[in-house]
Amino acid sequence: MINENDPSTLSTSGRLLSYNSAVKEGLQTGLKFTELMDKLISTKDADVLVSSAQELSTFVLDTDYVTFPHQYNTPDYYLIFMSRLLELHGKDNVITLQSHEDQHLTQQIASLEDKGVFSFTIANDGTGGVYYQEQVTGETIFYLNLQRKMLRINSAAITKLFVITYHEQVATDQILETTQLFMDFGSSLKEDYGFSVDFNILDTSNNEFYAFTNSNLSDEVVDKLFVAAAKEDYMLMHSSDGAVLELPNQVTLHITSKNAKWGMTVHDDEEATSWFKLLLDYPFVREWYLENLGDLEVKSDPLVFG
Amino acid sequence: MQNSEENQQELKPSETQLDLSITQKITYLQTLQKALHDGDDRQIYELIDKVRYSREIKKSRSITKAEDLSNLVDDVHAQLSHYLSQNLIEYLGKTYPFFYYDEIAEGQFDIYFGNWWDRRLFGQLDVLNVAFKFDDDEYGKLKKAFELDAMHQRYNTENIAAITAKSAELQELINHQDERDQEKEGLRAQQKEVSQKSTMPWDSGKVKEERQGIIDKLTQLADEDESAMNASKTIKENDDRILELSKEDTILNYEKQSIQKTFDDFTHFESHNSSLYTDYLTNLIGKGQVISDD
Repeated sequence: MINENDPSTLSTSGRLLSYNSAVKEGLQTGLKFTELMDKLISTKDADVLVSSAQELSTFVLDTDYVTFPHQYNTPDYYLIFMSRLLELHGKDNVITLQSHEDQHLTQQIASLEDKGVFSFTIANDGTGGVYYQEQVTGETIFYLNLQRKMLRINSAAITKLFVITYHEQVATDQILETTQLFMDFGSSLKEDYGFSVDFNILDTSNNEFYAFTNSNLSDEVVDKLFVAAAKEDYMLMHSSDGAVLELPNQVTLHITSKNAKWGMTVHDDEEATSWFKLLLDYPFVREWYLENLGDLEVKSDPLVFG
Repeated sequence: MQNSEENQQELKPSETQLDLSITQKITYLQTLQKALHDGDDRQIYELIDKVRYSREIKKSRSITKAEDLSNLVDDVHAQLSHYLSQNLIEYLGKTYPFFYYDEIAEGQFDIYFGNWWDRRLFGQLDVLNVAFKFDDDEYGKLKKAFELDAMHQRYNTENIAAITAKSAELQELINHQDERDQEKEGLRAQQKEVSQKSTMPWDSGKVKEERQGIIDKLTQLADEDESAMNASKTIKENDDRILELSKEDTILNYEKQSIQKTFDDFTHFESHNSSLYTDYLTNLIGKGQVISDD
């Protein structure tokens, strides 16, 4: 009895046919791959872009009979996707991709000059999530999940990288340009695909509630801000639900509680100021935050940043 | 009804005094009620303390006890205070812009100084007597802050300096741990050496002295070690205390600036406080004239 699926039972010509069709299949897989790459690299359609990135991120290029020695990996497709999405939204030259000899990509951000090398790593969370990280410091800036349509910014990494490390090396404008890039990426995901995006401390909305790590904030921590502000001729004011700091240009910082948990909101008429921006603009605010980070650090999504 | 007057009996002479008293009380209450309806706070103040009003506003001394019927309204003081507070607080808002009031129970007002973080509860407002009842401690601190200001010092300057110096000493102790360890090692070696020395009787006193000297030094170093061990905790406590004192200085400074802005100095502030009743009532009289002039 001849089993068509079992080459050992086939005649020579049968074997050759079977081999040939396996190679064809392998080549077909290769062709399918190049079509996806074409789309990822050059499509102008946002939906095509995300679907090709998603397919490629889990694409198995090798078959038993056809293997490809030069291959990119999942993190690389995410980097290409990020560049392309920004490009579709008119941000062409904000980031550059470096291609390395061993067929992998890294990203550099124009506004950071030569500082910082960025790439994605697989989150291994069983749901297809990836982390966007800076390679030198290992800081995880955000979590991205195309399937679950979510992006979550990590306040701890933003603070360490941009309020501490780069703050001393790069002009504030350049830092803001860099974080704006993450915001633009998040906004594009929101706009084009309806993502749920948490901008965390970068969020400039007046409604954004920055929740403190220590939800039972002690008065002493606020006292410290009161004393530090007074030294700089700013008055931390009493308010019925906490404290208010009035800053130039009608910007106010509110320390307040929401659902019995302490946190902050930042208000300005244009909704253009985030907690992050205040950290960059006011040294006394920055010192207060960094010296009391154990209590004050703004919470990030605990589901993705354990 | 039409016979009611006829039915009314003539009062006996002994009853006319009672009748008069009742009439006076009715008149008093009616006047008070009319003042309430007319929003005539000045009249109300006059009625609830005729003695003071005559003395301080009319500048006359003649008031008979019979005229003072203010005890008739003793049981509505809370409501009266609540009512009178509205205009009084509005007036105080202009003359003392840095005071804020919290009605903790009907007619009872706490005074807060300022609108800054952790502003102080500074006393109570006595609406019926148009007076501030400041908390002695808080008032005393502010007064002292003004005195120290002349010497360019703040209330807690010396205190903070003393605690800072103590923390610096403790930090030194921590910093010199290595040196102490070395010194101890040296002393122990010395101790051993001395103990191994065979002593001639005529040397024994000198050796004893030497031994004791080493022990004393070791004890001193051990004491310093112990202090150093607790030093971090103490430094942290000192930091907390310095924060508390700095906060108090900041608050006192804001209070001082508020008073300087409105009254120039503390003396003017005090004299305004003491003439508050006269000033307010005079203001109400002025307002009454403006209204009747219209």
